[in-house]
Amino acid sequence: MHGTMVPSALDSSLYIPELKNRRREAAVAELVACAHRAGAVRRPEALIELIARREAMASSAPGKSIAIPSARSLSVIESRIVVGRSTRGIEWHAPDRQPVQIVLLVLSPAECPLSVHVEGILRLAAVFRLQRHRQRLIEADSYEAAAAVLREAMA
Amino acid sequence: MTSRETLLELHDLDLLLFEARDLDAGARLRRAGLGFGDPSEVEKARARVFEQLDPRWRYHYARALTRYGGAIASVRARVCQGCFISLPRSAAPGSGESLTLCESCGRILYWGPREPS
Repeated sequence: MHGTMVPSALDSSLYIPELKNRRREAAVAELVACAHRAGAVRRPEALIELIARREAMASSAPGKSIAIPSARSLSVIESRIVVGRSTRGIEWHAPDRQPVQIVLLVLSPAECPLSVHVEGILRLAAVFRLQRHRQRLIEADSYEAAAAVLREAMA
Repeated sequence: MTSRETLLELHDLDLLLFEARDLDAGARLRRAGLGFGDPSEVEKARARVFEQLDPRWRYHYARALTRYGGAIASVRARVCQGCFISLPRSAAPGSGESLTLCESCGRILYWGPREPS
């Protein structure tokens, strides 16, 4: 069922409270590795390359310290969102030049309709355009706190 | 690269190009500050990968892509996710093979590593 992508996509094993890497490509690889460990994806190298291709063609950082990279691929087993935070910030080439502190990697299997995949991305973009949601997620001190922010914001 | 890996890469590139060319999705993403730029590099990569394919798979891929808009279907619980028909055990790839076609819809079947045959 792909129609309920965002709420069902939350998973404690897909949360990185502090991303180790400060470079965009390495941070994406860290998020994909997390998804791979959780069994949400296969062929992680191919997925990282696909996300890099998309990043080269499309912006995934609308500004305001958030980035929403994404992939729709046969390498994705189930629709998932991998959440990563970086209190120091990651250089993501955002239009406002602000380093990214919240990364939401949206993963959809190939058979997920494009409209559903895009809707998931747009919902996250709309939610985290609001300062109060961004701030609460950055300040969340556990997965439970972060998940509560996401659930409440996406409801 | 094996035919299987080449096909999977080709399919991922086609999904990406489909997203980049979709006018409605493009407009909505652009409004959110997430718009697509020039897809020509991905198109070039796609052409290169397509040329690398074995002619037999090139034929099946192009045929299914034209017919359905997507040439490869994953298999879950022995069900083709393209046409949702239950696949017989004999449809699973044998030893030494890694690719099969769905006898119902003609899509190329992707049996993931965890998929029991």
